Amino acid sequence: MPLPGTARALRLELKRNAVPYLLPLLAAVFYFNTLRTADGFPPVWTLRASVISDHMLFEFSAFAGGLAAWAGSREGRRKTLDLVATTSRAAWARLSIALAGTLCWLLLAFLAGVALLYGRTAFQATWGGPPLWPVFVGAAGVTVVSVIGFACGVFFPGRFTAPLVAIGTLLLYQAGMHAAQSLEPGQAAYALLSPADAPPIVDAGIYHHVPPDRAVVQVMLMAGIAVGLLGALGLAPDLRRLATARSLASVRGAFARGDSWLLRTIAVVLITCGAGMAATAVSLAGTAQPDTIAGGWEIPALHSSAVDRSLPAAQACTSLNVAGSAFQVCVHKAFSFDLKEVAAALKPVIAEIAGLPGAPVGASEVASISGGQTVMSGMAGHPPVFTFTADRVGLMFGQFLGMPDPAAWRAGFQMGLLDAFLTSQPGAGHPAGPTRSGAAQQAVENALLTAVGTSPSELGGGQMLNGRPNAATSAAISAATRRFLALSASARRAWLAAHLSALRAGTITPAQIP
Amino acid sequence: MNVTLTDVHRSFGKNKAVDGVSMELGPGVFGLLGPNGAGKTSLLRVLATVLPPSSGEIALLGRDPHMSAARRDIRRRLGYLPQNLGYYPSFTVVEFIEYFALLKEMPTSAVPKAVAAAVERVDLGPKAKAKLRTLSGGMLRRVGIAQAIVNNPDLLLLDEPTAGLDPEQRVQFRSLMRSLGENATVIASTHLVEDVGAACSEVALMSAGKIVFRGTPGELTARGEGHSVGDAPLERGYSAVLTEARS
Repeated sequence: MPLPGTARALRLELKRNAVPYLLPLLAAVFYFNTLRTADGFPPVWTLRASVISDHMLFEFSAFAGGLAAWAGSREGRRKTLDLVATTSRAAWARLSIALAGTLCWLLLAFLAGVALLYGRTAFQATWGGPPLWPVFVGAAGVTVVSVIGFACGVFFPGRFTAPLVAIGTLLLYQAGMHAAQSLEPGQAAYALLSPADAPPIVDAGIYHHVPPDRAVVQVMLMAGIAVGLLGALGLAPDLRRLATARSLASVRGAFARGDSWLLRTIAVVLITCGAGMAATAVSLAGTAQPDTIAGGWEIPALHSSAVDRSLPAAQACTSLNVAGSAFQVCVHKAFSFDLKEVAAALKPVIAEIAGLPGAPVGASEVASISGGQTVMSGMAGHPPVFTFTADRVGLMFGQFLGMPDPAAWRAGFQMGLLDAFLTSQPGAGHPAGPTRSGAAQQAVENALLTAVGTSPSELGGGQMLNGRPNAATSAAISAATRRFLALSASARRAWLAAHLSALRAGTITPAQIP
Repeated sequence: MNVTLTDVHRSFGKNKAVDGVSMELGPGVFGLLGPNGAGKTSLLRVLATVLPPSSGEIALLGRDPHMSAARRDIRRRLGYLPQNLGYYPSFTVVEFIEYFALLKEMPTSAVPKAVAAAVERVDLGPKAKAKLRTLSGGMLRRVGIAQAIVNNPDLLLLDEPTAGLDPEQRVQFRSLMRSLGENATVIASTHLVEDVGAACSEVALMSAGKIVFRGTPGELTARGEGHSVGDAPLERGYSAVLTEARS
């Protein structure tokens, strides 16, 4: 049975489309920009999926806009307007088939890229599943840019239309990214509506659901623009003739030549619906508020309270034997690939402080956002447990885009534990940030870090101090560090056992450190 | 009658491209002669439903092209070869012709045979799978003719159809026009009077948007008797009529 005429025409458009010729280039850009960036992130689904909007869309939108503009301008560039105008198939149908040919290739390429990204993540991830909203947003982004590019090509045919559209798309994307990075409540809705965005926090989607509100309005806006422009394509021949009409008779003639009034009515309805959807999305984005549960943004009219419920905790733990007692280290299952490294980093420091008053009996990862506030490393509970957040853990994965090397990561982790131990009072009921205070505390921390083989100078030293110490204070800290380090381990422990409360209270000076 | 024009005008600003043309045409090959800027292409574009007339009445294939449903029906039965054929370089010969067959809404099952027949009629069989970018100007002209005749049109409008064809192809094409004209109305605008003499049963000569002569090629030849400008009898007739119209 032969294919219907529309399907045969679509097959021709697919066969002779320009997109396949540029697929190798798109694949190369995808590899260098998107895939390598994703590989630098820990294999956490939400984090990996974020590259769809903040990297993948960047390259795809430029290609999609340019290639669609090239396809849309074909009749004008190749001077076939008269020829196709004498055929009986409606201009709208003809243009839609050409657009569909281009869009099919672009969406296929986009979905193939997503499949590769998600496929690699599926092999590496230890918890969770692929989020779909980023894919919807990405597909909507590719679609809307294609339709915009195609419409530009139809209405402004020329050899420069395609590159101009590609450049324009990149600029729009960059503007969105810039706006998103400095987004404050009450700012322009464009930042919220643009799919371009900065990467989310490392444990996004692990302890709390990621509210889909923003994604919903983004898809709504892009669908509205796409539908509206599709309607405008239905009026393309009329609009083209109107643009060249110089008299009332010409205007009448322009309307007398086009497609049937039924098609024109449908086109106007589509334009109206598209404009309505886009306007609704803009007005909804204007009501966005910071999400007080998991960070990000919520839109009251779209927000579901079910999303606000915390996800069930799922931890992976290992037990360390330190000085004859067990010390449990736990991370969220999503970060279980880092559990061994976390335990190995903490073990020597734990050995130095085990048994001292307020020394932690375990270490556990907690959500980096609680009640909309950023959580820092600290001590919690009684007996105390060192709590740390995923932004420390997740940094370990990958070596791309300036991620720290393993030694620096380990040093940072150890310093976090000592910060919490030397500054926090034991028995605090919830995670708390260290109180950055004394030079004596800094000297002790530097000595303990050095004792476990970590050089504090790698981390800049003086991290616990408020502000940059003056030369005299720095010299005092260095001297105290050397003295304390020169003590035997048992002497250090004995001094700490006796003076820990005073040290935490900030009543000891560097000169008093033996 | 397949074509009925009554006092048709078409202006571009102050320029009257078609100025009060009236005629009725049935099946046959109709030659449209005239100097550059005489209005031949504008008249063909009006007949091809690309341009609406500024005033006057038109009926094509018995239908009024102002009505969208009628216009669609006319376009299904229309073939048009523009003066400057635009084409898609990445398409093959067969694909380009098939594309236009589909745009003309031919029954899908009939398309492959119709395309193959059109390709054969313009003698492009060996190049059927060649991409258009690889073809010479003459071959591209034949592709244009093939797309115009693929739907076996009842009204075929050809603007400079033999431009770029070599003498052998031109002879073949005249034969093709004659055979098409047995059932359809073929209107061929041309500068080449020998095409008119060889293929057309009737001829009209346009000057400044008006039809200044209409008759058979023989009658046009007769008008040139005693006229000195022109190498061939038909050319002398052409020149004589034009000189008379301008005076």
